[in-house]
Amino acid sequence: MTSQPEVEHLLRELAPQVLGSLARQHDRFDACEDAVQEALLAAATRWPAEGVPEHPRTWLIAVARRRLIDEVRNERARRRREETVARLEASDRSSVPGPEEDRPPEHDDTLTLLFLCCHPALTPTSQIALALRAVGGLTTAQIAHAFLVPEATMAQRISRAKQTIRAGGISFEMPPEARRADRMRVVLHVLYLIFNEGYTATSGPHLQRTELADEAIRITRLVHRLVPSNGEVAGLLALMLLTNARRAARTAPDGSLVLLADQDRGLWDRAAIDNGVALIACTLARGSLGPYQLQAAIAAVHAEARRAEDTDWREIVALYELLERIAPSPVFTLNRAVAVAMVRGPKAGLELLATMDGDDRLARHHYLEAVRARLLDMAGDAPAARHAYRLAARRATSLPERRYLESRAARLGSPGPAPQSARSAPASRAAPRG
Amino acid sequence: MKYLLMIYDNPETRELFFSNEGKSLMAEMEALMNELRESGELVSTEALADPPNTRTVRAQNGVPVVTDGPLAEAKEHFGGYLVVDCESIERATEIAVRWPSARFCPLEVRPIMDTGATDG
Repeated sequence: MTSQPEVEHLLRELAPQVLGSLARQHDRFDACEDAVQEALLAAATRWPAEGVPEHPRTWLIAVARRRLIDEVRNERARRRREETVARLEASDRSSVPGPEEDRPPEHDDTLTLLFLCCHPALTPTSQIALALRAVGGLTTAQIAHAFLVPEATMAQRISRAKQTIRAGGISFEMPPEARRADRMRVVLHVLYLIFNEGYTATSGPHLQRTELADEAIRITRLVHRLVPSNGEVAGLLALMLLTNARRAARTAPDGSLVLLADQDRGLWDRAAIDNGVALIACTLARGSLGPYQLQAAIAAVHAEARRAEDTDWREIVALYELLERIAPSPVFTLNRAVAVAMVRGPKAGLELLATMDGDDRLARHHYLEAVRARLLDMAGDAPAARHAYRLAARRATSLPERRYLESRAARLGSPGPAPQSARSAPASRAAPRG
Repeated sequence: MKYLLMIYDNPETRELFFSNEGKSLMAEMEALMNELRESGELVSTEALADPPNTRTVRAQNGVPVVTDGPLAEAKEHFGGYLVVDCESIERATEIAVRWPSARFCPLEVRPIMDTGATDG
C-alpha cells in the first residue's frame, strides 16, 4: 500500500520521462500525450490499492505504449495505416526497457518536452496548460481548477495546442543551438506565469492555486539541474524561492493583503531564503546578468533585511537602474521610484513619477496612482494621498488590492467636513448640501 | 484575465436576430462562439429573455418590494453576455467588435475582478 499523495508525487515526477520516451520514438506527439495521460490515470487508480510496481517507469511506458498502439490501430481501421502499426509493434517488442533500465534516462527529455510545450506557435495560455499537463503531470481537471475556468475550456486549450503542434509539423527535438536562447526565454516566461498565478492567489480553491507556485518551482528546479550554467534559469529559480518564502506573511488572518513593508518577517521561510540567496549570489558571482537574476537580487536584498527599516535601499535603487537598462518596463521604474523615495525622500520619488504621467502603458493601470499615494503619504500630504489611494482603488481589478487601497485611504481620515449622512450614503446618491 | 462582454439590444435588434432575416447574423454569432470555444477563451455565454419577463427587486427600509418589469420598452437593454478568459482587454475588445450585434447596439467590455494580488 502506498499513500495517494506519494503515488501522485511519483507519477508527476515520472510523467515527463515517460512522455519523452514515447515521443522520442513516435512522431505523433498528440497521441503520445493522450496515451501517457491514460497510463497516469490507470496508475493513479491502481497503485494506491495494489502497491507501486517494482519498476514504475517501465510499467508506465509499457501501458502508455499499449494505449498508443490501440489508438493507432483504431485509426488504422479508419485510415488503413498498416505501416505505422507494424513499426510501432516492432519497437514495442524490441525496445520495452528491461527492469535494469528503470532509472531516469541518461538523456533527460524534460527540456525537449518543455521547449515543445512552449513553442512560439502556441498562445501563452496554451503553453501554460500543455506544460502543466505534459511536464507537470497534472490532469486537465486539476489545471482547470487552479485557473478557475471550466474543465471544457481548459481541455480545449490543451487539444488546440496539440492540434497546432501536429498541423505545424513541429517535431519532438531540441531547437537548434542558434534559437535555443530565444526559446528558453519563452520557457522561463511560461514558468514565471505559472508561479505568479499560484503565488498571487488569495482565494478560490486555495490549495490547487498555491500548488501552482510549488509546481513552477519544481519544474524550474528540474530545468536548473539540466542546464546549471544558465544564469537566467538559476535567477528565476532564486526569484521564485525568495518570493515564495514570504507566502505565509502576505495575508493577514482575515485574508486581507499585507504588503512587503508591513509583513511579519518572522513568518518568512528562512530555509527557502537561504537557498535562494545562495543560488543568486553564486550566479551573480559568475558575472552573469539578466532580468530574472536582477529581480532575484532585489528580492534577496529585501529578504536579508531582518526589519523593513534595515533594507538596503541604495542597493535596490542601483539594481533597478541596471534592470531598467537591460529590460525597460514602466513597472520597474515605479518600483525604483519607491526605492528612490526611501533613499532621497518622497519628493525625489514623486519627481520621478511625474515623468511617467503621460505613459500610455500605465494610463488605465492602478499601480501608478498606488505608488503616488504611498509617496504622498510618506511626504505627509494626507488629503492628496487619500485622493490618490481612492483613484488607485477605483482602477484596481483585483479584489484584495482594491480592499487594501480603500483601507489605506480610510486610514488617512475622512475628506473634509462633509456631514456624516452624506458621507455614509452611496457616492451616487450623495448630493452636495449647503 | 477574465472579461464580461455585456451585449445590449433594443426591440428592433431582438426582432431582427430572431426573425428569418436574422438567420445569417445568428449563424455568424454561432461561428464566432465556436471559434472562441475552440481557442479555449470562452468561459460561458447566455442570452437573456426579453425585458418584460424581468422582476425588479428592492429592499426599502428592510421591506422587500418586488415588481414585474420594467414593462415599458427602454431604448436599449441588457440582452446577454459572454465571459471570456483572454490575454488582454485589447483581445476582448476585438471579440466584441466582431460580435454581430455591435453593428446595431453597443457592447461593453468589463474586466472581472480577480482575486490575485501582489505584495511587492
